[in-house]
Amino acid sequence: MTTRPIVSEPAENLCEVTFDSKLEKRIADTLKQYPTPRAALLPVLWLCQDRYGWISPGVMRAVAQRLGENPAHVEGVVTFYTMFRTRPPASYVLQVCRTLSCAMCGGKELAEHLTTKLGVGFGERTPDGLFELHAVECLGACGSAPVVQINDDYYESMTPEKIDAVLETLTRKA
Amino acid sequence: MDSILLRARGTPDSQSLTTYLAAGGYNAWEKVLQMTPEAVMNEVTLSELRGRGGAGFPTGRKWSFIPKDHPGPRYLVCNADESEPGTFKDRELIEHDPHLVVEGIAIAAYAIKAATAYVYIRGEFGRWATILGKAIADAKKKGYLGKGILGSGYNLEIVVHRGAGAYICGEETALIESIEGKRGFPRLKPPFPAIAGLFGKPTIVNNVETLACLPHIINRGAKWFASIGRPRNTGPKLFCVSGHVQRPGVVELPLGVSFREIIFDHCGGIRDGHTLKAFFPGGSSAPIMTADQVDVRADFDACAEAGSMLGSGGVIVLDDSVDIVEAAANLARFYAHESCGQCTPCREGADWAMDILERILAGHGREGDLDQILRICTYASNGMTICPLGDAFSMPLSSMVKKLSGEFERRIAAASRLPQKKKPVLPWSGPLPGFGQ
Amino acid sequence: MPKLTIDGRVIEVAEGTNLIEAARQAGVAIPYFCYHPYLSVVGQCRICLIEIDKQPRLAVACATPVADGMVVRSETSDRVREARKAVMEFLLANHPLDCPVCDQAGECLLQDHSFDHGLDTSHMLETRRTFAGLERRMLGPHIVQNQNRCIHCSRCIRFTQEISETAQLTYKARGNGVYVDTYDGTPFDDPMSGCTADVCPVGALTVKEFRFRKRTWKLRSVPSVCPGCSIGCNVWIDHHEKVVYRLSPRENAAVNATWICDYGRFLAESLNRHEVLRPQRQIDGQLQPVDWADALASLGEVLDTASSLRVVASANLSNEELFLVKTLLGGARRADIVVPVWTGEQRRMKNGSGAWLQSLDAHPNAAGARRLGLRLVDHGGLARFLYGAADVTVILDPLAHPFLETDEATQLLRVGTTIVFARLEHPVTRLASWLLPTPSLACNEGTFISQTGAVQRFAAALAPPQQSRPLWSILMALGGELATEELPLRSPAEVFAHLVQTEKGFAGLDWETLAGTTDTAQRERYHGG
Repeated sequence: MTTRPIVSEPAENLCEVTFDSKLEKRIADTLKQYPTPRAALLPVLWLCQDRYGWISPGVMRAVAQRLGENPAHVEGVVTFYTMFRTRPPASYVLQVCRTLSCAMCGGKELAEHLTTKLGVGFGERTPDGLFELHAVECLGACGSAPVVQINDDYYESMTPEKIDAVLETLTRKA
Repeated sequence: MDSILLRARGTPDSQSLTTYLAAGGYNAWEKVLQMTPEAVMNEVTLSELRGRGGAGFPTGRKWSFIPKDHPGPRYLVCNADESEPGTFKDRELIEHDPHLVVEGIAIAAYAIKAATAYVYIRGEFGRWATILGKAIADAKKKGYLGKGILGSGYNLEIVVHRGAGAYICGEETALIESIEGKRGFPRLKPPFPAIAGLFGKPTIVNNVETLACLPHIINRGAKWFASIGRPRNTGPKLFCVSGHVQRPGVVELPLGVSFREIIFDHCGGIRDGHTLKAFFPGGSSAPIMTADQVDVRADFDACAEAGSMLGSGGVIVLDDSVDIVEAAANLARFYAHESCGQCTPCREGADWAMDILERILAGHGREGDLDQILRICTYASNGMTICPLGDAFSMPLSSMVKKLSGEFERRIAAASRLPQKKKPVLPWSGPLPGFGQ
Repeated sequence: MPKLTIDGRVIEVAEGTNLIEAARQAGVAIPYFCYHPYLSVVGQCRICLIEIDKQPRLAVACATPVADGMVVRSETSDRVREARKAVMEFLLANHPLDCPVCDQAGECLLQDHSFDHGLDTSHMLETRRTFAGLERRMLGPHIVQNQNRCIHCSRCIRFTQEISETAQLTYKARGNGVYVDTYDGTPFDDPMSGCTADVCPVGALTVKEFRFRKRTWKLRSVPSVCPGCSIGCNVWIDHHEKVVYRLSPRENAAVNATWICDYGRFLAESLNRHEVLRPQRQIDGQLQPVDWADALASLGEVLDTASSLRVVASANLSNEELFLVKTLLGGARRADIVVPVWTGEQRRMKNGSGAWLQSLDAHPNAAGARRLGLRLVDHGGLARFLYGAADVTVILDPLAHPFLETDEATQLLRVGTTIVFARLEHPVTRLASWLLPTPSLACNEGTFISQTGAVQRFAAALAPPQQSRPLWSILMALGGELATEELPLRSPAEVFAHLVQTEKGFAGLDWETLAGTTDTAQRERYHGG
């Protein structure tokens, strides 16, 4: 498994957003799958997050305009769901599951290991902008606890040694 | 019992349509297209299949609530939100047998005369959304989906809709709101989704595992399905076993086996040097059961009789090393994080319970804390909130406090009278995301 | 119609009524925070829980329609009382104890329901939730937000989504951290933003212009009608010790439901402005004070001897005043009367059925003038009217039309004798031969006719300041001085009764029934307090 790094658009490029033709095409295709434009909101936000790495207020406004919504509604939705990123992320976002099964089966130790190893707390990122550490709730992979999700990929049955190897690979690739 | 739902696990290339077809895939679908929707519904009713998402409501009966004379459109929604802590079966099904899920969706959609089905898959399952999307595209290419399926007059489109991180969207009306492009706020009921659901139209929401049972019921008959398990608790069930067992994972067993069999015979028992302390029989929202209840049968009715619930079949096993106060605080935090914030008792109560438990954990418990937790649980459940999230945190917390009260009381008795430390108790303690982050 | 029992009282109500409204009709008050009669039902505050016979769980009254034979218990059920205590405790768990410095105090539903339904103590030992940076901020030009006090009823959000339709407000985040905000913190400049503070049951949203100006329990309310445009929104004038502190919406389903626009709301302060405070007469190029008796006697003579008389009336005047003008000056004196109408900025209001009403003009009573058969003129018509010559010109309200402010108009009015009735300094007050003080709407009573034809009565909140007098009383006094048959009328009520007899557009109306909602207790239904 090779986790692809997130390439995120800097904030200054996302104040005023115009979708390129490729993204426009995908948005148009998405809209066809729903009877109301509003229903396409989550998929369109996903497309934008894939494209820009995160969802800036400018992106929200552009999405709102495209779907005929008020930007307040879009922001309300973005902030309800935990996976939409409202700040430019690091290249690799580490999300350590902290819910019961993972916490009991080494998750706590793994979490402590990661904070020491990366030298950052939860919600923080390494100074080189490579890693960002988050604690998240149940990732739905309790049978292979503890689990760390890095960007879109699951890393299951993790130990401090295994995660070290993963981080090393990712650092090398960068 | 031979594997039924998990028969493809271990088969090479089990995700591909070729492999699925070679194993008799889509036979049930072809058969269904020759039947009337009523006949399909009847067969499922006879099988006594009960919903696998958590509530255990009879599937055939749920379908029958769709108004007969409604002009449509009607919608089928496959609930693949799978967010209940301790549950990881749907991912297993999608990973190993995506076409089984697709075939199940098609059958259910046909039975309720829906021309569009949405699969609501939790946002974190991006990879599995892709797997399912590919299965749908492949099935469509072969004519199993789309317009005029296999020469019949029936049309069906299946759309994979990815969530974005919200436990509450597993609740069917919150899920519907989420598909509609809104915040996942559960709706007031009535009206129930079968009457006015997605886009205000009659809608059935079924769990992935429920739908995966359908091709088997059609292929092998309702009688065969009903012969597995126990009366009113029929069929195979996927049990997700996590926590302190030797071999955690998903096991498929008939409903009605005992938790002892699940934990000790199929998952290798408790890890070496430890003994069973307690377990959650059906995801973290089910009331906890203690070691002495390990012989309770794992089915809907037996669990209910034992004062708990089978829920999603997520068995979380806690051995004697577990600090119950910490486990309770952990779950309280989970629910506080996942409360949508709509109803007063759940929004305020979950957070309050979390604060009390974290304080006890930090060694600053006080007399009366446990009573207060129980008071919060009483008044956040049983109809005090719009959706069952209030119950979902109240049941585990109150059962832990009641059944394992000794551990809490010892903690409180030994509590420090000194001012509370500011240092976080757990490595990941901190404010809820959202405000201030 | 379904017949049901609520707390032992049997009542029959219309199909589809919810239990809160049914109970109200039965005289049982079920508490609520998130429910609002003109907003969608969300059932999220949970204080309106009630017990229904044969139902194992408590239900929320707001979302439960009545059914025949239903037996409902509210305060007569121990379970309900205990559940409400618990809900109150949950709501107060994180609510700051800052009532002494909170401007909502006195009209706060949380205070009221806490007193009636809450515990007298709390079990809360934890640190309260706070929203750093949202404790005291301008959400928009008129609304101050203190998110710490918010009880998450979502009324403000639903207001902007369903009523004003700007959808500017939203919830952000979730769970206990959920808060109200606009997109990216942009200013909340909804043209009806003040209503969000009205519907806010607590002090989370307050109106900048009103906050800290007066404790609400000191205020007295008088039913009135907004003078801002032709829609005729029903309002309360909230006043204390001769000062108007605010206008707030008064329920009228056909006109403004329970809303008013910000423009109308903030006319409140203007009702306190009185610059012309005594009768004056131009002597040697200077306005000199005169006393009322002399002024009236002299004016009677001026009007009686005028060879030609013209009157610029106003669509801001009441029907009673317009009628007196028409009768006293138009009748025997054959005055040429016009009522200038100015379109002004278009205002709009949503009524209780959810329909938008668009204003036709900027006056509260153009429809009344029309119904009285007076001649309405626009800008051009008014100009042409003033270009004509007359011996005596009467300006009843310099604010009748912006044209009167222009140099062109003042030039025209310098000819002959000009009698001006006014409240504020204005270009035409400076050139008046006679200047007579009339007070603002707050000191007047009478009726207006809205653009939809509804005759609506407004009452006087304050006594007129100093020597200023309502136009109707001046006209009636002047009537005594004029050499015509006397109208034996001593109050707007009597004028109206006379009007009913003589004007067929008013036939059958009764002064007593025209005020609409006058029970201030009704405000609790739809306001925060």
